[in-house]
Amino acid sequence: MSLITRPRPDIAWIGRVNALLRYGVLIGVGLVMLYPLFWMVAASFKPNHEIFGSVGLWPQEPTMDGVVKGWRTGTEYSFATYLLNSFAFIIPKVVLTVVSSVLVAYGFARFRMPGKQLWFALMVATILLPKSVLLIPQYLMFREFGWLDTYLPLYVPCAFATDGFFVFMVVQFLRGIPPDMEEAAVIDGCNSLQVLWHVVVPVIMPAIISVALFQFMWSLNDFLYPLIYLSSVGKYPVALALKMAIDVTEATAWNQVLAMSTIALLPSLIVFFLAQKYFVEGITSGSVKG
Amino acid sequence: MYDNRLSGYLYIAPFLVGLATFTLFPFLSSFLLSFSDYQLQDPVEQARFLGLGNYIQMAGDDTFHGSLGVTFLYVFLTVPLKLAFALFIAFVLNFKLRGIGFFRTAYYVPSILGGSVAIAVLWRYVFAGDGLINQVLVWAGGEPLNWLGEPAYALFTIVLLRLWQFGSAMVVFLAGLQNIPTDLYEAATIDGAGKARIFFTITLPLLTPVIFFNFIMQIVQAFQEFNGPYIITGGGPLKSTYLLPLMIYEEAFKYFNVGYAAALSWVLFIIIALFTIIAFASAKYWVFYGNEREEGE
Amino acid sequence: MAKGRVLLRGVVKSFGATDVIKGVDLEIAPGELTVFVGPSGCGKSTLLRLVSGLELPTGGSIMIGDRDVTLVHPSERGIAMVFQSYALYPHMSVAENMGFGLKIAGLPKALIKEKVAKAAETLQLTPLLDRKPRALSGGQRQRVAIGRCIVREPDVFLFDEPLSNLDAALRGQMRVEIARLHAKLGATMIYVTHDQVEAMTLATRIVVLNAGRIEQIGAPIELYCHPANLFVAGFIGSPRMNFMDGIVEGAEADSVNVRLNGATLRLPRYDADVKRGNKVTVGIRPEHFRVGPTAEAAEEPAVEFDAVIDLVERLGGETLAHLRMPSLSDGVLVVKISGDVALRIGTGLRVGVRLAQCHLFDADGRAVGAPASRVAPVAA
Ligand SMILES: Nc1ncnc2c1ncn2[C@@H]1O[C@H](COP(=O)(O)OP(=O)(O)O)[C@@H](O)[C@H]1O
Ligand SMILES: [Mg+2]
Repeated sequence: MSLITRPRPDIAWIGRVNALLRYGVLIGVGLVMLYPLFWMVAASFKPNHEIFGSVGLWPQEPTMDGVVKGWRTGTEYSFATYLLNSFAFIIPKVVLTVVSSVLVAYGFARFRMPGKQLWFALMVATILLPKSVLLIPQYLMFREFGWLDTYLPLYVPCAFATDGFFVFMVVQFLRGIPPDMEEAAVIDGCNSLQVLWHVVVPVIMPAIISVALFQFMWSLNDFLYPLIYLSSVGKYPVALALKMAIDVTEATAWNQVLAMSTIALLPSLIVFFLAQKYFVEGITSGSVKG
Repeated sequence: MYDNRLSGYLYIAPFLVGLATFTLFPFLSSFLLSFSDYQLQDPVEQARFLGLGNYIQMAGDDTFHGSLGVTFLYVFLTVPLKLAFALFIAFVLNFKLRGIGFFRTAYYVPSILGGSVAIAVLWRYVFAGDGLINQVLVWAGGEPLNWLGEPAYALFTIVLLRLWQFGSAMVVFLAGLQNIPTDLYEAATIDGAGKARIFFTITLPLLTPVIFFNFIMQIVQAFQEFNGPYIITGGGPLKSTYLLPLMIYEEAFKYFNVGYAAALSWVLFIIIALFTIIAFASAKYWVFYGNEREEGE
Repeated sequence: MAKGRVLLRGVVKSFGATDVIKGVDLEIAPGELTVFVGPSGCGKSTLLRLVSGLELPTGGSIMIGDRDVTLVHPSERGIAMVFQSYALYPHMSVAENMGFGLKIAGLPKALIKEKVAKAAETLQLTPLLDRKPRALSGGQRQRVAIGRCIVREPDVFLFDEPLSNLDAALRGQMRVEIARLHAKLGATMIYVTHDQVEAMTLATRIVVLNAGRIEQIGAPIELYCHPANLFVAGFIGSPRMNFMDGIVEGAEADSVNVRLNGATLRLPRYDADVKRGNKVTVGIRPEHFRVGPTAEAAEEPAVEFDAVIDLVERLGGETLAHLRMPSLSDGVLVVKISGDVALRIGTGLRVGVRLAQCHLFDADGRAVGAPASRVAPVAA
């Protein structure tokens, strides 16, 4: 809020101190926040005794020991299996989420229909509904379907726009776009599905990417659902495998544990840095634009 | 085409099916289950009606009372601290400084990663007896603390983990701050308002919709905290981090008391619903709407 | 054939409980450039969208050519539309934008290319065909939007305030281009605007809308000279017509006597349906006043007012004087004088107007009788 630039020297001086203070706070907070992450990465390349010995980051005696053992995980499978398992249900989950959210959001944002307000309100309400109240009956239902120890319970619901948050996000995005282009396409002879495909989807691509990225990250982090639905270790995703691997690793093999954590975080970190602007846009579009 | 009622319903049909199958049906089922003695290993037909039995049992269950207390303590610590901190940092960031984008990204990273098992594991090691925090404490000349072993401290490690993830709330605040037209600040400055006055009479009121949004999201999230206690502390020591979602999980999937777990989950639902309803009902007294900027200028 | 004829019969449109179009009957002849004009929110766009098929009427019927299209899909009505925001597809090049409708219709690529090239030629868009809309200026975007219409070879072109996003200079230029295009293609065009100058310059016929109803239909000059009611009189012409309240003192076969401002005006009228004692409104356009001694030299019957200058707006080419009259308590009289005239505020000014140029409206706002000047020569 450096609003009005006044040439008076004393004011300019205050401005500089102000900026300095802000940088101080920002750098300090940033350091405290990111230090544990750096520490984790650094510790993956240290021998165990060195991790306890100093708070410094740079390894004195760098070693790949932790990383190599971490990759093998100490369970019957290596990280490669668990990563593949994760992707085996995350990819269908992301695709189904995107497709169903866009269809439903398009319906909500662009069509007049009786009862729309009610359905929309219910959709927003599901965002606030605690998952644990649904968890047990859903488990019983999927048990009836014979879907336990498969990935189906993890992604099939996503085909039905069950994540209201994403529908809401796309609706908000669509509301910010005047419908003229779509009307022009109607005059050009498109039916509503063609309008969606040829005009709406290209225009809301940023929102679609945000949805895909968030769903990817959240699914990668998801722990509770795999925990209750999957029982064979061979099907474990990274999140479950990590918890298990740590339980079977000796308590003193810190470099191994922290290396495993680092490896587990890599996919998220890579995706985040490749596409960070979509995260910021996505999270703000649901809250501020409305 | 936009007049065609059917096509609208065609597009939201997946949602309607999903709502019925994966939300409303389980929602009502868990309500019914909460009045039964159903055990996970049995066929569903064997469930017997207990009336209010589960709820009566709850009234005398010390574990439940403890869990409820810890849950409230956790939420009341986490949500206000996180919001205040996120707002503070957003305020510091909302300044024409170089490198803002960098800081925003750096602060946002923990929010993206924080929900993962890997970070929960990292946390366990950061707060372990000879972990990073205690090393820093010793290096600074202090006494190491038994973070995870002391009932008085264990909950704090989880609170800190979630505070560490203030980034997503901060990004929302920042966007809200940047949505406030600068000419309002300029007008107030010309009117002779000081910085503090500007903050309380302009920034804060215009930010209330965003505060409201963040508040609701954080409350709902905090009441559902599971990964933290499950992975970092396992609910201990002495159930000092035995949050309600963890208790529900263990009752259902460890002790197989599905009926009791369903009753617990309904209590959790009602608590969250009450908070949300109060928030929405009170919104008209403190949330300031109607300063939307014109579209497309 | 009636290709390009548009016929609306009893068209009604409501959004929920609000009636936006309250019964419109209108026939547009083939090849006409009809302008819908009216204040913001009066339902111009809605009426145009009813013709386009983007909205369906709540009642009544719509015909284009010989076909009842009331419920026909927009793409099958033989229409094309230019939107206020241009509504170009941002992810497609100019050529793709123009050819999109043909592509959806399933035309072969070569034919699409040929048609797009031809339309681009007409609009001088050929060098821009590979650009994306965001790399175009406002005027160029506008031309692409028009090009998209031409390619479809519609019977009826629809324009919804197509120039309102352009700056004044470009607006004038595009207005000429649209007029030229109309002359060249000879297609029916319906053009919506809230700007009466645009309406006057472009239209073969103007439809004045107000609150969902048609107030008057006619050629531009006809609306200017013979507004059917107070609304049209006030809406067409700038600065707007001056209105003064009077009382009828008596009506004769070829004139009406109105008591106004302490004097009695003998307004030449035919078929005037008024009685002694009726309240009426006299309307005089600012440009019809004459200043000073010239008024007395006029050969035709005239009336004169003495007034005090309240405000002067000098525009160079013309001067607007805002006058107060001692007995005219409500409002001011605006007088337009051609050329730059030095007038002093606070001084008196005598203005006159030919009685044949006074408009007369009854208490309901309807024009009273036809001015005698139009029907019969005026006796001195
Ligand atoms: N889709 C709609 N839903 C509800 N009201 C509408 C809709 N479209 C237009 N209206 C209302 O109809 C009236 C006429 O609108 P419009 O035809 O756009 O006016 P104009 O183009 O003459 O400015 C306005 O009061 C507007 O609020
Ligand atoms: Mg309009």
